[in-house]
Amino acid sequence: MAEDFEVEFIEREDRKARFLVRGMTPAVANGIRRAMVADVPTFSVDTVRFVENSSVMFDEMIGLRLGLVPLTTPLDDFEEGDVVTLALDVEGPATAYSGDIESSDELVQPAELNVPIIELKEGQRLQLEADAVLGSGKAHAKHQGGVAVGYRHLHRVEVVGDANEFEEQEPNILRGVIEEAAAEHAADESAEDGALVPTSEFDNDLTKRYPGKDVEVHDVPGAFVFHVETDGSFTVEELVRRAVESISDRAAELEEKVAI
Amino acid sequence: MELRVIDKTDEELRLEIAGEDHTFMNVIKGALLETSGVAAATYDVNPEQSGGQTDPILSVKTEPGTDPLDALADASRRVQDLSTNFTSAFEAAL
Repeated sequence: MAEDFEVEFIEREDRKARFLVRGMTPAVANGIRRAMVADVPTFSVDTVRFVENSSVMFDEMIGLRLGLVPLTTPLDDFEEGDVVTLALDVEGPATAYSGDIESSDELVQPAELNVPIIELKEGQRLQLEADAVLGSGKAHAKHQGGVAVGYRHLHRVEVVGDANEFEEQEPNILRGVIEEAAAEHAADESAEDGALVPTSEFDNDLTKRYPGKDVEVHDVPGAFVFHVETDGSFTVEELVRRAVESISDRAAELEEKVAI
Repeated sequence: MELRVIDKTDEELRLEIAGEDHTFMNVIKGALLETSGVAAATYDVNPEQSGGQTDPILSVKTEPGTDPLDALADASRRVQDLSTNFTSAFEAAL
């Protein structure tokens, strides 16, 4: 196992990022991906007490919708199993939005304020109290902090020759990130060997990047491009850090138990 | 995480690790295979629906002179080191 990693961000926002990791084995990459999806806990509504529900939907359906509202989760301040109480009181005619939810804890708030819960007509009312529990995606998908978490190999495109000039070139679609290795053939003047280029820059079509050329695509061994998106419970950095920590913690526990 | 030794000889170990799944087992298996003195390592899990044995069973075979439990401790250490390395590389890239 290569012990030295190299990490490079390709795209980075609070809730969405793409980064390249070099020197990683597939087992570790997949372990981190799985931990991000199933093992990093987030707050989610688990129990609802309805005071009044004169809307057109059953309590259970409202409960399900409430469960899917992402809540901000500062993991430093809470432990798995902790409960935070939320309340919602909306009278029609109006739409009850996630932003109408009031939380008993300043740290745990709806991450998204405009998720519609239900439209209420004149005379309808929704009043409830809900308990949000900190749980992991393993127990229920509503607790998943990472949505759309995945990785691909880094691609290296090799120009192997010229395409048939009397034939129209078929599109050659590739998605992911390429490591530029044939800058002299690239349509982009500023191309430089070794640069990381997301394929979306050339419409995911290699014939637009290397017009009139025949190309071969290879995976770069040990180099993975992670794409991580969170539901807003925490930032991408927090999610990645916690996922790795959860694997490390388990290894520590195993080491300790084996020693006995 | 609860461990139950099923089989243990000088060079072989079969161990049930309750409460874990592919996430951790595949990582530890990968680390074991890269640990010196380990001849073979694998794990087996049955799906939830199969009924019966659903906790993963880790099997390790070592070369003479290496205790499989020590090898497992080494591998766990390795996973922790790797996590630390990754986290620092990740943080440096931020």
